[in-house]
Amino acid sequence: MATAAPMRISPLGRVEGDLDLKLEVTDGVVTDAWTEASMFRGFEIILKGKDPQAGLIVTPRICGICGGSHLYKACYALDTAWQTHVPRNATLVRNIAQACETLQSIPRWFYALFAIDLTNKNYANLPEYDEVVRRFAPFVGTGYEKGVTLSGKPVEVYAIFGGQWPHSSFMVPGGVMCGPNLADVTRSIAILDYWKREWLEKEWLGCSIDRYLELKTWDDLWKWADENDSQRNSDLALTLRFSRAAGLDKYGQGCGNFIATGTYFEPSLYEHPTIDGRNAALINRSGIYDGAEFHDFDHLNVRESTAHSFFKGDTYLHPWDGKTEPIDPADGHKQGKYSWAKSPRYEVPGKGPLPLEAGPLARQVIAGREGAADHQDYDPLILDAIKSEGASVLVRVMARMHEACKYYKLVEKWLGELDLHEPFYAKPAELESGKGFGSTEAARGALSDWIVIEDGKIENYQVVTPTAWNIGPQDGNQVHGPMEQAFIGSPIADPADPVEMGHVARSYDSCLVCTVHAYDGKTGRELSRFRIGEGA
Amino acid sequence: MATLLWLQGGACSGNTMSFLNAEEPSACDLVTDFGIDVLWHPSLGMDMGENVQRMLREITAGERELDIFVFEGTVIMGPGGSGRFNMFADRPMKDWVAELAAQANAVVALGDCACWGGIPANAPNPTDSIGLQFLKRDHGGFLGAGFKSKWGLPVVNIPGCPCHPDWVTQILVAIASGRAGDIALDDLQRPQTFFKTFTQTGCTRNQFFEYKQSTMDFGQGTRTGCLFYEFGCRGPMTHSSCNRILWNRQSSKTRAGMPCIGCTEPEFPFYDLAPGTVFKTQKIGGSIPKDVPEGTDHVTYMAHAAAARVASPQWSKEDIFVV
Repeated sequence: MATAAPMRISPLGRVEGDLDLKLEVTDGVVTDAWTEASMFRGFEIILKGKDPQAGLIVTPRICGICGGSHLYKACYALDTAWQTHVPRNATLVRNIAQACETLQSIPRWFYALFAIDLTNKNYANLPEYDEVVRRFAPFVGTGYEKGVTLSGKPVEVYAIFGGQWPHSSFMVPGGVMCGPNLADVTRSIAILDYWKREWLEKEWLGCSIDRYLELKTWDDLWKWADENDSQRNSDLALTLRFSRAAGLDKYGQGCGNFIATGTYFEPSLYEHPTIDGRNAALINRSGIYDGAEFHDFDHLNVRESTAHSFFKGDTYLHPWDGKTEPIDPADGHKQGKYSWAKSPRYEVPGKGPLPLEAGPLARQVIAGREGAADHQDYDPLILDAIKSEGASVLVRVMARMHEACKYYKLVEKWLGELDLHEPFYAKPAELESGKGFGSTEAARGALSDWIVIEDGKIENYQVVTPTAWNIGPQDGNQVHGPMEQAFIGSPIADPADPVEMGHVARSYDSCLVCTVHAYDGKTGRELSRFRIGEGA
Repeated sequence: MATLLWLQGGACSGNTMSFLNAEEPSACDLVTDFGIDVLWHPSLGMDMGENVQRMLREITAGERELDIFVFEGTVIMGPGGSGRFNMFADRPMKDWVAELAAQANAVVALGDCACWGGIPANAPNPTDSIGLQFLKRDHGGFLGAGFKSKWGLPVVNIPGCPCHPDWVTQILVAIASGRAGDIALDDLQRPQTFFKTFTQTGCTRNQFFEYKQSTMDFGQGTRTGCLFYEFGCRGPMTHSSCNRILWNRQSSKTRAGMPCIGCTEPEFPFYDLAPGTVFKTQKIGGSIPKDVPEGTDHVTYMAHAAAARVASPQWSKEDIFVV
């Protein structure tokens, strides 16, 4: 085994966007990591000086994968800034649409972005490899084809209310643009039922969603996976067994601190959206978990560091005061900067600034916090996994997939609660100035906008994405971001095909194409010119 | 069998996500039934790292045939013409694009960004983004006005933000099955079969447009009326097939009560999103629409409108899309 060979995976792919990953590898283990977002598009600069509602059109185009989530939080940023009234129906439609985007993303992400790595030839000697290839091989795998094609169904429901997916702008301050009729609702129910039956129950679970939702612990899940032939043969059980055999439960832990800003509102508690009233109105709760304790989420504790980002200076600002002043990366490198992502940090009371992991794992950890109100989600399963065996690539993947049944049930409930004879919109006063904060949980994590409106136009607009939370570079204290921490300690069996790095990157579902460069930890030489494994 | 390479520049992946909603054919059908060999796609590609770089270099060196080069996203020129705002596989993406386009048999620009710069090129265009062969309506773009791919075609523009999956899949099938010559392009190099019609063609609100009856509010207010008069709908001035080939097989923005924002046209986003222009019809003298349907002028439009209002029946003033 060679000691540290410089390695280069460029591009890595299937993480959406552009990300270079520089790794220091020593004795087949990653000993240091730098995530380098390699593209700048300048949306916050474009928004300055524009119509206050410009964010409803512009921010969904930040990410086509979670564009509906961008719309959702951009709308709430305006609702809070303009102090709107949001009718009950509008809250329900926004919830339905946001959840349908996530329901779409769950199978699409799993089959198209994550599972195809399980067919990697490195795993050819593992039990059930042939079955994994038969199901998960790109384009031709039986599970792949069904999962990817049927992933278009939940967003058909989005289109019924919003006209199209991706990139509608049908949520506006004061409600939604649509005025749905009876057939819109009944068709939505039928489409989702079809998706549940044909993919979620038949392919993924091998049982009813109600049976699955009885699971309360990580151990319950493993027992369920071996309970009968139907469940044993499901894509979920196969993924559990094969991932464990491949060691995906052993690495990719991450920083161990989590943030959820929460999403979906109980309509009666958020008819007049305010920043202060947000936490209590959430159905999927917000919160911070610092590895030992839970804390309530307060957006005023969010900061973004530009210490290692290609922006002017070494700033550490709350997003309302945030600046987006790009510099040439060639100059930035000379200042020790290495990424287009800023580094979001959270000032945890008593602990100072921490990097926090965002995403389904974070959401489900927060869902395990005691003290949920009647309208709020309480679910201990994933927190139990964290406490019993710690975070890993596998647990992160399972947290994502676990949400499918839960969100399906929520959408079914919300569709039933729509009152077609009541309003979907209340025209707001377009205030000349104000400050707003809107946030949601995109499929891949906490997504937030901060808007400052002055003289009837946007004075400042800052977006903090889940990708920034996860793949952001080191902060001013030289503390690595969550995904950098997840790479460190991970094994690389074959540097010519570092599939482990693919698993880690894709388990976060960061919206960047990940490009990996690995360097020898002892010599600093670039790994790609060597082949680990060919040496001693 | 046709080889396809799909890259993303200044992109949001929205066109890829839209593409994955396709049915008949689905993305998988393109591979299994229509013989499209996907060499690589940033979201869907199996290979990574050195394997991808080697494949890219084989194409640029002319050692490997590339039939269809699909590009999504803007070509980012900044800062200062260096392209360093968008690095890919260690080089500015723009350098890859130039070399790959020169080798491709056909080049397809997917979405507004690749066609004409789209949202990233909106003022002040902080990344110096441009489209493959246009910047807004100016012919030229990154590859130059005279660019032709190896099969003698200019860049095939499939705009929209995002473009509809059927617009993509049908054109890919046409190219892969040797029918590239049948793709008639308009003066913005869009396939006429999808872009000769207007977004308004097939809109369920057409009868209200005919009688000049306006929707007066969003939400429940969209149970009647046309969105052109108050909410800035660009359906009569925008070329697309959004109301002929429905979105996600279900609907369209205008059907669902959202005004068309003209996203298949080079000027999108219109009026540079200046204060007062979003979801609001721009008017002259408080009542005359600044933008009138293509091919008309203000005088004839107003004369027609006055007559139409006189002729408007009672039902056109009532809710029609009722519960």
